[in-house]
Amino acid sequence: MSILSTRGLTKSYGDGESLVRAVDGVDLEVESGETVAIMGPSGCGKSTLLHLVGGLDRASGGEIHLAGRRVDQLTERALARLRRTDVGFVFQAFHLMDELTALENVELPALLAGHSPRAAKARAAELLDRVGLTTKAGALPTTLSGGQRQRVAVARALSNEPVLVLADEPTGNLDSAATLDVLRLFEDLHDAGQTLVIVTHDERIAATADRLITMRDGAFVDETRLTGGSTGNLGALAGLEG
Amino acid sequence: MQQEVVLALLAKEPSHGYEIRARLRSALGPIGDAMNAGQVYVVLTRLEKAGLVTTESTTTKDSSDRKTYVLTPKGQQRVAEWLTEVSWPRPDLAEFHLKLVAAAAAGLADPLSIVDTQRRELLRRLRDAQRAAMAEEDGAEAGLLLEGIVLRLQADLRWLEACARSWTTRRSTT
Amino acid sequence: MGRLLLIVRLAARDLLRRPAEAALLLLAIAAATTTLTVGLTIHGVASDPYANTREVTAGPDVVATILPDPEGGADPDPAALESIAAADGVTDHSGPFPVAGAALELGERTMDVQAIGRDAEPADVDRPAVTDGDWVRDGGIVVEAAFAEAAGLHVGDPVTLAGREFEVAGIAVTAALVPYPWTSCLVHCMLGEAPEGMRPADGALHDPGTVWLTVADVEEIASAPLSYVMNLKLADPDDAQAFVLAHGEERPGLPNLLSWNHTLEQVTHLERNTQRLLTTGGTLLGILAVASVAVLVGGRMADQTQRVGLLKAAGATPGLVAAVLLAASVTVALLASAVGLVAGRLTAPLFTERAPGLLGAAGEPALTASAVAIVTAVALGVAVVATLVPAVRAARTSTVAALNDAARPPRRIGWLIALSTRLPPALLIALRLAGRRPRRVVLSVASVTVTVSGVVAAMAANAQLAGQPLVDADTETQRLSDVLLVITVMLIALAAVNAVVVTWATVLDARHASAVTRALGATPAQLSAGLSLAQMLPAFAGALLGVGGGLALYTAIDPDEVPMPSTWSLVVLVPGVVIAVAALTAIPALLAARRPVAPSLQAELA
Repeated sequence: MSILSTRGLTKSYGDGESLVRAVDGVDLEVESGETVAIMGPSGCGKSTLLHLVGGLDRASGGEIHLAGRRVDQLTERALARLRRTDVGFVFQAFHLMDELTALENVELPALLAGHSPRAAKARAAELLDRVGLTTKAGALPTTLSGGQRQRVAVARALSNEPVLVLADEPTGNLDSAATLDVLRLFEDLHDAGQTLVIVTHDERIAATADRLITMRDGAFVDETRLTGGSTGNLGALAGLEG
Repeated sequence: MQQEVVLALLAKEPSHGYEIRARLRSALGPIGDAMNAGQVYVVLTRLEKAGLVTTESTTTKDSSDRKTYVLTPKGQQRVAEWLTEVSWPRPDLAEFHLKLVAAAAAGLADPLSIVDTQRRELLRRLRDAQRAAMAEEDGAEAGLLLEGIVLRLQADLRWLEACARSWTTRRSTT
Repeated sequence: MGRLLLIVRLAARDLLRRPAEAALLLLAIAAATTTLTVGLTIHGVASDPYANTREVTAGPDVVATILPDPEGGADPDPAALESIAAADGVTDHSGPFPVAGAALELGERTMDVQAIGRDAEPADVDRPAVTDGDWVRDGGIVVEAAFAEAAGLHVGDPVTLAGREFEVAGIAVTAALVPYPWTSCLVHCMLGEAPEGMRPADGALHDPGTVWLTVADVEEIASAPLSYVMNLKLADPDDAQAFVLAHGEERPGLPNLLSWNHTLEQVTHLERNTQRLLTTGGTLLGILAVASVAVLVGGRMADQTQRVGLLKAAGATPGLVAAVLLAASVTVALLASAVGLVAGRLTAPLFTERAPGLLGAAGEPALTASAVAIVTAVALGVAVVATLVPAVRAARTSTVAALNDAARPPRRIGWLIALSTRLPPALLIALRLAGRRPRRVVLSVASVTVTVSGVVAAMAANAQLAGQPLVDADTETQRLSDVLLVITVMLIALAAVNAVVVTWATVLDARHASAVTRALGATPAQLSAGLSLAQMLPAFAGALLGVGGGLALYTAIDPDEVPMPSTWSLVVLVPGVVIAVAALTAIPALLAARRPVAPSLQAELA
């Protein structure tokens, strides 16, 4: 079942001579449970594409279908509801509220969706446990490491059980060890059947995906299926020949 | 396997062959599992022939497992030298680069598709290495080795990306 | 010296970079300084002419009257007054003169008057000065000047008094009685509206004017028992109050004494009220200006932390940084005090027109050194108080933090956040927005409290004024109403500006939080409602406090009379304020909520 499907999606800025196509006629299809990675150089439009799909920005043209519904023509209000129920976001800059604890950050989407405070809190505790941060539930983001903050952000994205999680350069601000933590998290999500679309220029993240799409100048230029093992062995990679 | 590695593992104290193998496996993690069991003994024999190592028999049976290997003074000296050497493993980029040039010149294949195929393969290897790295506990020695593999692959992939960009431009200008 | 110049240059550049804000600051403080200046410079509006009149007319130190008992009983006996004349300290007297109440008809109109019977020769004490025409003669009446002006009477006009024909013989001025319309009652009379529960005596006159007739004429027109009035001169005029306390009685049938000090107080009642109104209004505006300046400067400080960091990184000490920040505010304050002093001095004459019923000119409005000092001190005080906290905070911020613009992280109020989880999304957003900047909430509440206090006090004052006799629209009572209106409008305008500025400051400050909240699923309607509610809640609190504060304020100013503004107007005021704030903040809130989410989030990455 196709969770996300776009046809001819475009986003342009300016007009006439100064027309810039940030996203240029993109057709994307994401199946349920798939992890799709979109790679490309800076400015290729991958973040813009993600914002369009998630309803944070309006497309200039084309169609977006999410969980069977057409969503490119929705009002701001309907888009907001979409973000509440169908889509979860993870950002490069985490975008946590500095004055709220980890738990309060995670329960916020549920509260905005109108769930009872008790239910929201319970769900938040459960999610923090899932990302391994139960001990940090009462901590403020400024006291957490980058990796921990991103894990809180992931927990927050899962708050309303979205059908699709969108991650925009999730490890962009993280060091190597934190990247590994987040990678583990994404693998867990994948194993649990979560549909993920990750925009990244970190090859390590891309390597975890089922499908890797390369983007350049606003358009898709390559698509690779990454299932199946590799031909070499690890020992050879390590230099242990003979 | 570098001879000096085995030499260095004997520097602390005389050891049996199986002890050296165990230490290697612990340091290499999953990579060490794929190692040939007999390889260590081949290296030890070579070292003995070179006079860097001697053996002492134990009082029990006269099988390989019970031999104790000891560093000779010459061996110790070699270890000390080795530790201060700064040579680094040779990169192997020229072969691939020439592969692309030759394919383009002779019209035998599209360089871009060569790059893409290689990229796919490296990505798969990256995935395997990453999975292995995640399976290790935090702080394990082997995890560090695996991280090195991952980072190298990352660097190689970046270069492949540059190759793809370059050969795309080259194609559009010809 | 070089450092001082540097500070001044930096401060000037700072102000010129943001002319609109500097102008707003100037206006806020200038409103206060102008009002204060007018209040401080008008003086002697009525007291100077009164002193002059007293001298010219040989005004008495004590006026003794004896009125008939409204319940019946014996007619007043003028002999009772004679005994007062014989008391210690009395050096001279005139009278007793008879006084009768009557109805005066002029054309279509009928007015009550109290007619005093006098001899044709000038008396020793109280010689009313004739400004037009002649003194009393048979068949002629002399009209008190203020009454003549209000009633439109001129020399030679034929009038009917108690059914008999008279002619206006002259217009005169006296210091013994308060001029119309606050006439000192020599017969039973009622000024203005009767207070609740008090029944005016039968035959009491309503807002009478004073006229003089010959003694014979007075006795002839009297239809009720006569009152008697006697004017006393004391050895020491300053003893008048003591004399009244010693000898005065409040019972009908016994002499009723009034000192000249009391008369002066009545005469200057309006003038003093005007002054009090202006100085109180000026103070309220000053307090409001503190809130305005604090909000404007504080908001600017947040944008300026980077500049502060650059200054420090270039080698400036925290002291220099604070000095620059303060210098900018002080410059505006000094300008505002200059503007206020000039504007106040120019508008003061509007309040010093000639007081009718008295001789001589009103005191010239003059800027005394103390007035200049007070106004300047107030302006500087406003600027310093409002700027001090942000300046010190900015100066203390570490340079690195300032350069990274991490200087003002939002506050966290745990219980408020926990409470907000139980509320619908719009209120949740509102409470959390307010909780991020508690100091700003306090400023908002203070601003609304001060404004509503002023409005309620003005309403109470207006209620009191409405009960006054308003024969002619051009009286000082009307002018007082106008002054009230102007000050009230200034208060409301300043408060409205405050509300809009605070909303903008909140919107700017909460850009990131707003974008994140929308990314997490809040609709634009919920967000803009939250932004508005974040202002409406402090406004509600401020309005409640202001109602109580306003009544307390008015009682403090005018303790003798506390008329309540109508209850319904007070009840309507509180939700009215809240709705007004909602309207003012609606546009900034809506605009903010409609901003596209993606760029606002990305701005944080830049």
